[in-house]
Amino acid sequence: MAMTMRTEGLEEAEAMLSRLGESAGAVAAYGLYDGAGIMADAINAQAAAIRTEGFHYAALPGVTMRLPSPEEKAALMSAGAGIAKFEKNGGEVGTSVGFGNAGYAEVNGKTKPVPQIANAINSGTSFMKAQPFFRRGVNSGRGAAVDAIGKAIEAKCDEIIKQSGG
Amino acid sequence: MPEEYTALVGALQDTEIPFAEYGWKTRPEGTYGVVGLDMEAGSLAGDMGKQDRAFDVKVDVFFRKLADREGIAGTVEEALGACLGAAWELNSLQYETETGMFHIEWIGKVTGTITAPEPQETQESGDA
Repeated sequence: MAMTMRTEGLEEAEAMLSRLGESAGAVAAYGLYDGAGIMADAINAQAAAIRTEGFHYAALPGVTMRLPSPEEKAALMSAGAGIAKFEKNGGEVGTSVGFGNAGYAEVNGKTKPVPQIANAINSGTSFMKAQPFFRRGVNSGRGAAVDAIGKAIEAKCDEIIKQSGG
Repeated sequence: MPEEYTALVGALQDTEIPFAEYGWKTRPEGTYGVVGLDMEAGSLAGDMGKQDRAFDVKVDVFFRKLADREGIAGTVEEALGACLGAAWELNSLQYETETGMFHIEWIGKVTGTITAPEPQETQESGDA
């Protein structure tokens, strides 16, 4: 005996799914924007915590180490971690957060690229102790950013479902 | 200390490059390296405590001759690969105009635990 099954409203669901498919990139970008913002904030918070010349380590014999100057820190703080232009590739959206396009700053009478200053403070040099503020920010912001991306995408999906349903 | 970390420090100190943990009191001339446990990264929490702990390991090498870079990088990366598998990356290459030194930096991840030393049995003073 054959039975015919029909599910009402499947067409609607199908329409909704196809609609989601079309706007998947936009939904992902919506979530990513939230996450990238949280990441940038976390990095900037760590940049604010960089120790400058006001603090001194015990001098070791034979080695003169210095900390970043307040000017170098101010250059980082005023530039701030930025969010790059979003790159869309189908349903995939990508961006990068950092000092990559932060421009130049005047430090001790010289014009220096801000990314270079960020790199020197982050990795340390032979005469400057490393303060990996960037990695610290990324490590501390990762969890919150992933949560925020998930929540934003969920909210946007709900919105789309409601629109297509109503 | 995490076992992978102690293995890495041993392997690096066995190479021709002089390596110190965390820093030098008196730096060698020319090429030298620094290795250190850096910060906690990506530990998992569970059961009201930390379960799997992960740490960043930072390896820095400073050198003066650009021609040395491949030999140095190869030596360090061989040790990193042997001790950490694939859990490491070359993080930055820098040139310091102030000192004329080149600086290569690797970041690795190690898992393991940090344990408190077992209490040593102290000899009770006085005659029993």
